Amino acid sequence: MTSTDALILNLSSDLAPVRRRNMLREIALLVALGAAELGVILWTGAMRPDMGLVILSPYMIWKMGSLALLAGMTCTIAMRSLAPPASSRRGLMLALGTAALAIAGGLLVTSAADSGRSLLDRLSPVHGMLCATTITVLAMPMMAALGVLMRRAAPVRPKESALACGLAAATCAALIFTLCCPMNDPLYIAVWYSLGVTFVALAARWLLPRRFRL
Amino acid sequence: MVANPIFRLPLGRRALQRSRASSASAGGQDAWGALMTAAQEGHGGAYRRLLTEMSNWLISYFRRRLPAGDVDDAVQETLLAVHRRRHTYDPRLPLAPWLAGIARRKWIDQLRNLTQRPLEELLADIPVADHETAVTSASVLARLLDELRPTQAQAITLVKLQGYSIEDAARETGLSLSAVKMNIHRGLARLTVMLEKSDDID
Repeated sequence: MTSTDALILNLSSDLAPVRRRNMLREIALLVALGAAELGVILWTGAMRPDMGLVILSPYMIWKMGSLALLAGMTCTIAMRSLAPPASSRRGLMLALGTAALAIAGGLLVTSAADSGRSLLDRLSPVHGMLCATTITVLAMPMMAALGVLMRRAAPVRPKESALACGLAAATCAALIFTLCCPMNDPLYIAVWYSLGVTFVALAARWLLPRRFRL
Repeated sequence: MVANPIFRLPLGRRALQRSRASSASAGGQDAWGALMTAAQEGHGGAYRRLLTEMSNWLISYFRRRLPAGDVDDAVQETLLAVHRRRHTYDPRLPLAPWLAGIARRKWIDQLRNLTQRPLEELLADIPVADHETAVTSASVLARLLDELRPTQAQAITLVKLQGYSIEDAARETGLSLSAVKMNIHRGLARLTVMLEKSDDID
């Protein structure tokens, strides 16, 4: 008997049934996490006070619509990448293209008043850093959950999966953060939200594959 | 003997699509898939049969991709990964692409392990007894070497695939011993990065 035969015998004896991976269950977990974060924001009164007035404005529809689309896309890409033989590369490129289009679409909803202000005034770096930091903090629980899911699943391209998980966590966090963020200028949103999302995605790409073994 | 679709499959994207299509036309279930589904429910006999057939395929897969001395390790590592991740197999899909994905990952891991071993250890286990077998095997790996610098490809071919000693390879190439070692080390590292980035290598 070869060592491989012995291994097969060992693995197949006393075989216990396993609970199959269920993507819907995993998505439900992420939705529950997002809902919990949303609940905390509402409970602490952190939602922007004029939300009722601005919810149907073009820039709010652009902001929330683009982020909802990106969050849905990246979550799907991340989930699909967690089992063989899926590769998330095409999906990630598609998400990147969608993000670029969404940013370009921001030009259409930029108000004349915003266009007339100076660049520094529009970017408002102090608020911007706060926004990017808040997105990062809001993304952490979801990134941790996706990290656990990734370790339980079988991503055969762990670095790509980690990046997809990071983008999913970050875009979901950015979507939730739109309820709090008082800024309406698309340039501000494009710059600082992108910075927050990029930071989380890179952190996930670096952290999640560490010590991962298929 | 269970009809085994994967023996006929090269592992490129087209092949995987063909496999998906043929599986869909067969109702989304293949013979290996049925065995794995039974295994997920705790059927040890079906699992043993599946792993035995998988190991035969894996031996053939890794012989074309790794130096002879690393094939057994890679097969066993892949079987362990299949065992640990068997809950991720979706019975609605064919098993062949699922296994191929795991095998590809283990191929990359095995190549990376080669680069991470200390050079002396790396070289100590290099020579192979049967030169003819070694030359005709690892054909996929040999083809990939074309993508490397000629000196790296030559060093890996001579030492890892054809079983030359490091001294013989140095004499053959006209390089110093340390240059041959470095070319092997850097070539394997570059190969690993290339494989990580590529989607399909048959």
